[in-house]
Amino acid sequence: MFMTRRSSLTALAIAGLTASVSPAIAQQDASQPAWAQGRPESMQGAPLSPHAAPLTVTPEDQIPVDRLRLPDGFSAELWAHGMPGARMMALGDEGTLFVGTRSIGRVYAVTDNGESREHRIVVEGLTQPNGVAFKDGSLYVAAINRVLRFDDIESQVANGEIGEPEDLTEAFDLPDDEHHGWKFLAFGPDGRLYVPVGAPCNGCDVDSETHANIRSYAPDGSDMQIVARGVRNTVGFDFHPETGELWFTDNNQDWLSEHWPNDELNKVTEPGEHFGFPQCHAHGIVDPERGEAGACDDVTLPVALFDPHSAPLGMRFYTGDMFPEDYRNAIFVARRGSWNRSLSVGFDIQLAMLSEDGSRAGTSPFMVGLHAPSENDFLGRPVDVLQMPDGALLVSDEQNGAIYRISYQAPDYQAQ
Amino acid sequence: MTGVRTGLVALSIWLAMPSGMADTGPAAGKPLEEQIAICGGCHGEDGNSTQEAVPSLAGQPPLAVTNQLIYFRERLRQSGIMTPQAQGLEDSAIQALADYYAAQPVASSSTTRDDTLYDQGQGLASQHGCSSCHQPDYSGQRQMPRLAGQREDYLNKAMKDYRDRRRGGPDTTMIEIMTGTPDEDIHALAHFLAHLEAD
Repeated sequence: MFMTRRSSLTALAIAGLTASVSPAIAQQDASQPAWAQGRPESMQGAPLSPHAAPLTVTPEDQIPVDRLRLPDGFSAELWAHGMPGARMMALGDEGTLFVGTRSIGRVYAVTDNGESREHRIVVEGLTQPNGVAFKDGSLYVAAINRVLRFDDIESQVANGEIGEPEDLTEAFDLPDDEHHGWKFLAFGPDGRLYVPVGAPCNGCDVDSETHANIRSYAPDGSDMQIVARGVRNTVGFDFHPETGELWFTDNNQDWLSEHWPNDELNKVTEPGEHFGFPQCHAHGIVDPERGEAGACDDVTLPVALFDPHSAPLGMRFYTGDMFPEDYRNAIFVARRGSWNRSLSVGFDIQLAMLSEDGSRAGTSPFMVGLHAPSENDFLGRPVDVLQMPDGALLVSDEQNGAIYRISYQAPDYQAQ
Repeated sequence: MTGVRTGLVALSIWLAMPSGMADTGPAAGKPLEEQIAICGGCHGEDGNSTQEAVPSLAGQPPLAVTNQLIYFRERLRQSGIMTPQAQGLEDSAIQALADYYAAQPVASSSTTRDDTLYDQGQGLASQHGCSSCHQPDYSGQRQMPRLAGQREDYLNKAMKDYRDRRRGGPDTTMIEIMTGTPDEDIHALAHFLAHLEAD
């Protein structure tokens, strides 16, 4: 079994393990786990805490692909599985799919022979290697706090031997806070690598030059620029296929309420503009503790809202030919689903349709079936979406370590 | 996920590894009964440990044992003893072991109860809200371990290891909770939890 294999990278990875929690943050709120920061006294006994993702392989017959529901004409199949914790996805030029994780510390590579898929582990033993991106033959991996580059990675995967990566950690010089320290990675149309740095807290005052921002770098980690400020915790973004603008999801503060603040879909118009955290949330709610009157006046408000705590993460514009014309330049958004609501919500793929001028978007469900509202339970947790060259859409399910492929064939209603 | 090519991957990576990294643990690949005997050498055949600072596994929620074994196997949690032991254990073997220990009855504590210390620990546990995750009877749930009836010396060690950041692993919840907790509070908590009668 692949489980027994260890690359020499493991030793390298272990060296990074001692930097777990930032002492400065932990001491601010001693005796509270990070996720409980801001929990009011009245909620102390409430049965609300993050759902830990399984670290073990989900047997194929227990993967809920048959429960997925989509609009007519669309169908879902199980494309790859057996990869505990599968989250963010990046596609190589030769078709290798790279998949990041959090707790289990691995990055997987999936290869497709046209009929079936195989996967293997590219690197393991890292601290939350969530971010993966591919450019010019190289795989970029972002963990807490490490940035690694694997050159000529698709040949390495094909040859079955993964060599030592280039360690770009020092060049990127990212904060090593554990709280919201996991990264999403994507290359922009400008060839630069975009990296978010989340707020190291649930809610706290932050220096917008160091935290709660989105940055871009030259691929070697030089020339850092701040692209967006006041962004609490984005774990997914993409660039508009025509305008090149950066659009991103953002996860809002916990424990303020069951019903607010909503999570967000945002658009960057001016480099460096401020999106509100921690003073202003969602569609213009002043933070009761940190915001003053007028705190929302000079910040950029979202293009669209998602249900509070529903955790919109990976998002991509659709530019393929397979789906109907309606879907062109619309955004698929994976919602991992809530934990900070007594009535759960999310666990689906939403579609965001943009207004003509791109200043607003409306959202509606695209893929459902993993949420069981009547049981207040869930069967899977979508984290990322990725368009394949043929126009099909891949969806990663962290709960089941699985990747689904969604394809389309126009329904023939007359034939029924 | 398997196949000829994957086999070659195993070989080539194995050859590239520094010495000592390739070993599998003694229980890897063995039938469950033999694995239980091997683990029982320290943790007790029935999962009730009789060795100093070695945790009892009896009555633990299956996911608590599963996750820790996977942290050891993935080298995400470092222990001179357990990290090597866990190498090569398959997910299904880990889950079978966890199910076995979950079903074993918890033995009574072998140390003498001190009522003052017990009461002090009970008050601290309530004050810290330990039961909100570990359950009101401290039997644990999901990945949160059973504390009731655990060895007192082990509870002391585990809480101090978290506090002093000697115990790693992806789940940092307990590190954050234990930060700054004085030794005397840990001693009282450990005494109370160890002497809490199991259901």
